[in-house]
Amino acid sequence: MALPADHSQPQLAKGCRWGEEGADDTILFPEGVIKVQGTGKHILERCDGQNTFADIVDELQKHYSNSDPAKIRDDVGKFLEALQQKRIVDY
Amino acid sequence: MLPNPLALIAEITHRCPLHCVYCSNPLEMAAAGSELATEDWIRVFREAAALGILHLHLTGGEPLARADLALLIAAAHGAGLYTNLITSGIGVSETRLAELVRAGLDHIQLSFQDSREDAANWIAGTRAQGHKLELARWIRKHPIAFTVNLVVHRQNLDHLAEMISFIEQLGPDRMEIAHAQYYGWALKNRAALIPTRKQLDKAIQVVAEAEKRLAGKIRIDSVVPDYYAKYPKACMGGWGRRLMLIDPTGKALPCHAAGVIPGISFENVCDRSLGQIWRESPAFQRFRGEEWMPEPCRGCERRSEDFGGCRCQALLLAGDASATDPACSLAASHSIIEAVLAEVNANHHEMATPVRSSSLRILQQEVGDLWVYRPNPE
Repeated sequence: MALPADHSQPQLAKGCRWGEEGADDTILFPEGVIKVQGTGKHILERCDGQNTFADIVDELQKHYSNSDPAKIRDDVGKFLEALQQKRIVDY
Repeated sequence: MLPNPLALIAEITHRCPLHCVYCSNPLEMAAAGSELATEDWIRVFREAAALGILHLHLTGGEPLARADLALLIAAAHGAGLYTNLITSGIGVSETRLAELVRAGLDHIQLSFQDSREDAANWIAGTRAQGHKLELARWIRKHPIAFTVNLVVHRQNLDHLAEMISFIEQLGPDRMEIAHAQYYGWALKNRAALIPTRKQLDKAIQVVAEAEKRLAGKIRIDSVVPDYYAKYPKACMGGWGRRLMLIDPTGKALPCHAAGVIPGISFENVCDRSLGQIWRESPAFQRFRGEEWMPEPCRGCERRSEDFGGCRCQALLLAGDASATDPACSLAASHSIIEAVLAEVNANHHEMATPVRSSSLRILQQEVGDLWVYRPNPE
């Protein structure tokens, strides 16, 4: 598989969901749980099946305007790809 | 400080329409009449969530054999637990599946015995394959995670690639390729099930190729069987470290097989809370930590990774639950494992031919002493 395409709309995979109140910085999935913070949490909160990959990258590039936009794009893509391999994110 | 358990395995019944020859249930199963009532399970799930447990695995037997399954799922979901149903699929219609999903089911793990119908029925001691295929299609219509579990052993490993392709067609998110583990019924039937080294080497290669091909599509989880490993498995992530198992009668155990260990009394969830059992019960403390460890575990740098291996295996093979797991190449009793492997790898084993019948009685008669089917408890 490859990095998400610009027009793809990433979302949590079937059966993967945010933790309940008090654990809303975790994502539960079959056999496991991951804790997400900072930028990772920020990205995953936007993976709602509506925002496109391009939207998410664009927003982060604006937010971190001092960083190299190409690097931001690359980092977000790799982050989502790694979660897609674990079947936590779909795009 | 003692961490919270992460997952609760609820064996809600030992009744099962299948008779798999490697079933992980104990040889002495709980009778239907001794099962916990609905309200007891519901209380246990609430206590589990309050204790910090995240995942609930509903298993059996066949959990669908309980008419109150949707109620149990709704209660678990209501308590905030991530709920997984481990099932053979027998006992669920399309309507009942929809009801379980509505109740809050997050994940379903469906077992297959083989890709070939005759062979699957021969292992399960009943005809189940057709229904499982139908169920797989229904599952994909729902927003839940879907795992297919396949138990592998000497009788089916030679066509592992075919079985992986078969599972791929079902479109799951995950595929578990699980080598039979030799406790309970599988230990009784070990001679017919344990793979040869040649089969295992080939299987590792087949799995690696499939992982590459299916990356991003289907996640494959597979583990080398411990008889062939250099070091033992970290059984249950360590005794009393991560998991609690409740048997159909409410007995709290650190793992599926712990009931075989003599001299330990396991407390019941009807007598004490889950939290009290986790923290204080002698059973959960018995092999927790490193105090109990013998040499070579005590001085081994791997002791915090594999926790000395499996206590039940130490008992079943070496006759001492406090011994190093014989699966460890450093264990004094490792010769027991070596002898089993020498036997299976030296002899030229004819592969058995699947018997075609839907009658358990006829199957048992026809397979002779190849293996013993797991009966249904009374």
